Amino acid sequence: MNNNRNDFRSLELTVGDVFSKDARLKARNVNVFYGENKAIDNVTIDIGSKEVISFIGPSGCGKSTFLRCFNRMNDTIDSCLVQGEITIDDENIYNKKIDVVPLRARIGMVFQKPNPFPKSIYDNVAYGPRIHGLSENKEHLDYIVEESLKRAGLWNEVSDRLQSPGTGLSGGQQQRLCIARTIAVSPEVILMDEPCSALDPIATAKIEELIHELGNDYSIVIVTHSMQQAARVSKRTAYFHLGKLIEVGRTKDIFTRPQHNKTEAYISGKIG
Amino acid sequence: MNNKIISPLEASSKVKNSIAKRRAKDNRLRLYGRISISLAVCFLLFLFYSIFSKGYSGFFQYYVTLDINFDRERIDPKGDLSENSLFDGDASVIVNESLFSIIQPTGRKEKKQAKKIVSSGKDIRITKMVKNNPSLFGTITKVKFALDDDIDSFLRGYIKRETPESERRISNKVIEYVDKLNEEGRITYEFSDYILSGSASGNPEMAGIKGAFIGSMLTLSVCLLISFPLGIATAVYLEEIAKKNKITEIIEVNINNLAAVPSVVFGIMGLAIFISIFGMPRSIPLVGGMVLALMTLPTIIISSRAAIRAVPPSVRDAAYGIGASKIQVIFHHVIPLAMPGMLTGTIIGMAQALGETAPLLMIGMVAFIVDIPNSIVDPGTVLPVQIFMWADFAERMFVQKTSAAIIVLLVFLISMNAFAVYLRKKLERRW
Amino acid sequence: MFNFYLLAGILLISFIFFFFGYIRARSLVISNQKNLHSLVHYYGIFSLLACLLPTLGVFFILTVGDDFLFAELIKEFIPDHVINSENYNFTIILAQINNSVDGLIFGTPPQWIKNASEIWKSWVHKSQILTVIVCFLTAIISGFLSYKKINREFRSRNAVEKIIISIMALSSVIAILTTIAIIFSVFFEAMRFFALIPFDEFLFGTVWNPQFEGAERAGSGQEGLSQYGAIPLFAGTFLISLIALCVSVPVGLFSAIYLSEYASSKERAFFKPLLEVLAGIPTVVYGFFAALTVAPFLRSSGSIFGLDIASESALAAGFVMGIMIIPFISSLSDDVINAVPQSLRDAGYGLGSTKNETVMKIVLPAALPGVVASVILAVSRAVGETMIVVMAAGLAANLTANPLEAVTTVTSQIVTILVGDQEFESAKTLSAFALALTLIIITLGMNFYALHVVKKYREQYE
Repeated sequence: MNNNRNDFRSLELTVGDVFSKDARLKARNVNVFYGENKAIDNVTIDIGSKEVISFIGPSGCGKSTFLRCFNRMNDTIDSCLVQGEITIDDENIYNKKIDVVPLRARIGMVFQKPNPFPKSIYDNVAYGPRIHGLSENKEHLDYIVEESLKRAGLWNEVSDRLQSPGTGLSGGQQQRLCIARTIAVSPEVILMDEPCSALDPIATAKIEELIHELGNDYSIVIVTHSMQQAARVSKRTAYFHLGKLIEVGRTKDIFTRPQHNKTEAYISGKIG
Repeated sequence: MNNKIISPLEASSKVKNSIAKRRAKDNRLRLYGRISISLAVCFLLFLFYSIFSKGYSGFFQYYVTLDINFDRERIDPKGDLSENSLFDGDASVIVNESLFSIIQPTGRKEKKQAKKIVSSGKDIRITKMVKNNPSLFGTITKVKFALDDDIDSFLRGYIKRETPESERRISNKVIEYVDKLNEEGRITYEFSDYILSGSASGNPEMAGIKGAFIGSMLTLSVCLLISFPLGIATAVYLEEIAKKNKITEIIEVNINNLAAVPSVVFGIMGLAIFISIFGMPRSIPLVGGMVLALMTLPTIIISSRAAIRAVPPSVRDAAYGIGASKIQVIFHHVIPLAMPGMLTGTIIGMAQALGETAPLLMIGMVAFIVDIPNSIVDPGTVLPVQIFMWADFAERMFVQKTSAAIIVLLVFLISMNAFAVYLRKKLERRW
Repeated sequence: MFNFYLLAGILLISFIFFFFGYIRARSLVISNQKNLHSLVHYYGIFSLLACLLPTLGVFFILTVGDDFLFAELIKEFIPDHVINSENYNFTIILAQINNSVDGLIFGTPPQWIKNASEIWKSWVHKSQILTVIVCFLTAIISGFLSYKKINREFRSRNAVEKIIISIMALSSVIAILTTIAIIFSVFFEAMRFFALIPFDEFLFGTVWNPQFEGAERAGSGQEGLSQYGAIPLFAGTFLISLIALCVSVPVGLFSAIYLSEYASSKERAFFKPLLEVLAGIPTVVYGFFAALTVAPFLRSSGSIFGLDIASESALAAGFVMGIMIIPFISSLSDDVINAVPQSLRDAGYGLGSTKNETVMKIVLPAALPGVVASVILAVSRAVGETMIVVMAAGLAANLTANPLEAVTTVTSQIVTILVGDQEFESAKTLSAFALALTLIIITLGMNFYALHVVKKYREQYE
């Protein structure tokens, strides 16, 4: 794929490092419509391997919508139409022949409000490996569950009560459980849609720390409305405004010397 | 020991391996769903088909045309068209004479068989005709009479010629007579003038639903007049006026319980209390209506409460703000706005009541009522009970007429429900 | 007719007082500078209600009560030899007297009945005069008293509203009265039954063969031929309900799953109401269908396979009842499945579940209590169902688990016993009440349990 900037009309508006050397996911000229409304306007961006990238921008600017394009969760909404290309390993995920099931196993998602299943903690984490047939026997499954909980930073707190219901945990614990659940299917990319907005500051801090660590093993795309959060967890940041991608770059650069005046207006609080 | 965490690549390939089976299971579930719905719809269609195919022919029956000599002296001996005179008259003999002149039976046995060809209601037909139109006297006029139900069944093909005579309900001679009448073109297949205007009768060819229908209308009216005001009043009281305390909780639990009680039990209660203790007569629409009203009350109360709850508090606040009293807010604002929902619930409740049989059986609306009730205190029956009673009779023609009665009942029910849906759609408000 | 005219008269007087009240209020407005508390018409309404309600009360008491009074007093006029005879039954005597009063004379009744009916008629006449006078007086007096109340300070609107609220509260009590009436009528008669037949024989006996006392006395068999063991009835009810569930649960549940998870909105809008139609068909129609179409069909297809299916088999009745119950399960399950939050489904899909996996492993387990509750409610409906079993199932109390045989149910027996000639004192008639009591306890019990299950399930999500 030609990474020459001048080939993509969409890039006339976007400034910064849209492309990555080691891109896992590549979005090219993506438009998203809800019925008549255009929610995402001609966005092109790369998601690199083992990096944490934040999508920031004022509310209603389409960040979550765009995020959900990556694992085709927008398919569940009838009125949503996605145009353009999103490729993983050079395969367009919107190709009609692609089955979404393996795609969603490779690209996991954590939602805004923690949504553990009304099952035990063990069954929550084991759900993914079970349906995909990832484990060979019970011991292997136990191992996967333990590893996932450890990586999510929850093992120490729940190891003695794996059979108790997942819904009985606190908000922050539930969200970590959801993260563990996502990790258990060995994804390459984890999409996070404002994962801390429903949590208190202490739980938020724990999760931010976790995200930072997870960035060593997974590509993480996190949508956040908090610039401070973006500054804390991600190396790269993309600024969206009214459905358009305005600027992409290293987080430090975006916040200290933004190139586009709209970006500057947002981070200095003039808009949003 | 497989205790290595699976790499994404490995995971991907495992997932891809599992897809085929999982998709197959998914398609199977979708298939089961489709099959289930199809089964349910098939049952429904088959039920309707079965009823309609039997019932369609119930609206028609066979008639024979005879030339009747309206001899006043023989039909109305006293000459005053009074009941006594007509009773003493010989109308049926005149009819038989006309019949015999065509088929010419010989001997007592043959004449006896021939007399059964025309329906036993023949004299009533004649007397009705002369009462409505005394100028018929002295004329010879063609009159259509219904054929006896066995002849009717034969003509439809249910009683077959091929069956040996000893196993058949009609004899060879009678078949001969019928053939003769047919050759002369005297037998016709027409829309029955009994099914809708006649009342219950032991003779299938004369049976009709008029009595039961009027009984149903009277009973439903009583039910509506009792249950609608009571239901609305209770719903309004519980939603708007009563404080939420133990007593209202008990009343609510009570209402929910009553909605779950089998309908037979309401009939038993009606039997024990209205009939035994209060000494009201059995089999009258008034008692039937009271029992049905008590049965329908929970439905009306529950749907009315839902309708009242749907009225937004802002409407009430606005009215209070102007200084309206509680009752004024309720009657001037809440009830009119909730009325569509309340009406819909009531119509649906009435439709259910129309189809109820068991409780009315219990209070005795089952006696063999020939007369059409004139008021809510005259004995009568209702359409579902009529259907129930007729279903027991073995004659083929009763099966057809029962199915025809069911069609009438279903038409009413569908209309009422359709009206309720229409009302709901038309008056629906989006807050 | 008399009552009708009297009621009309009462209404007329009430309206006259309405006008009096209205006019007086108006005159107060005109003659005083200050305004009255309430609008003028409220005073009229107050007068009307104050006159009408007490009078109606008096009217009802007198009209209903005098029949009871006469029944007691007429006993004086029944000759001793009748009272002392063996077959003395007051209810029948009373009915004969009443028939005579109404002018329905069958054959030649004995002279004393004619005398008694003449006396009754004279009492009725006197009572009518009394009722008219009392009602008239009540109306005038209460109307007048209300009229006196109307002055400048009187808050008639409040008074009227209080009256209206009391009327509404009273109507709410009707629900309780109905329950009490049901309990009263069923319970006491059932207790009289249990005085004759002990509990354990009823609940655990395996032969149900009630006979009328007359038949027993006539020597139709040995003494003590009647047996009241209800187990065959319970078994029959259970068998038919089970067959009904076998039809309705799979069809209803899979339909609900399909309509809520797989169907397009057009499909859903079309098929959901269609399923509801099944619930709207009167049960007598189902019974007719079962008896005249399904049962013969089963019988003839059974003979093809060499099976002897009874013409009143449990299978026929149960199958049709299952069809009737499908919407109960599909509608309620559909509601419950839709109530499961979308966030759970999102989590499932996000992990790469197929629709099948999301529904069967996430949504259904979450909705299970509600689905179970809907099944319990459907069973309760099946147990209480009457017409289908009366028309399609048999009357023979047959204790069997074979669906191809004829069985009878609790409801079927209740109907058979109570429709037709009854002797109110006999064990056979009373047994129907005992059965009704059992029926009420079972259906209410199931409903309570279903509600309990739903309540617990709701706590899970709130």
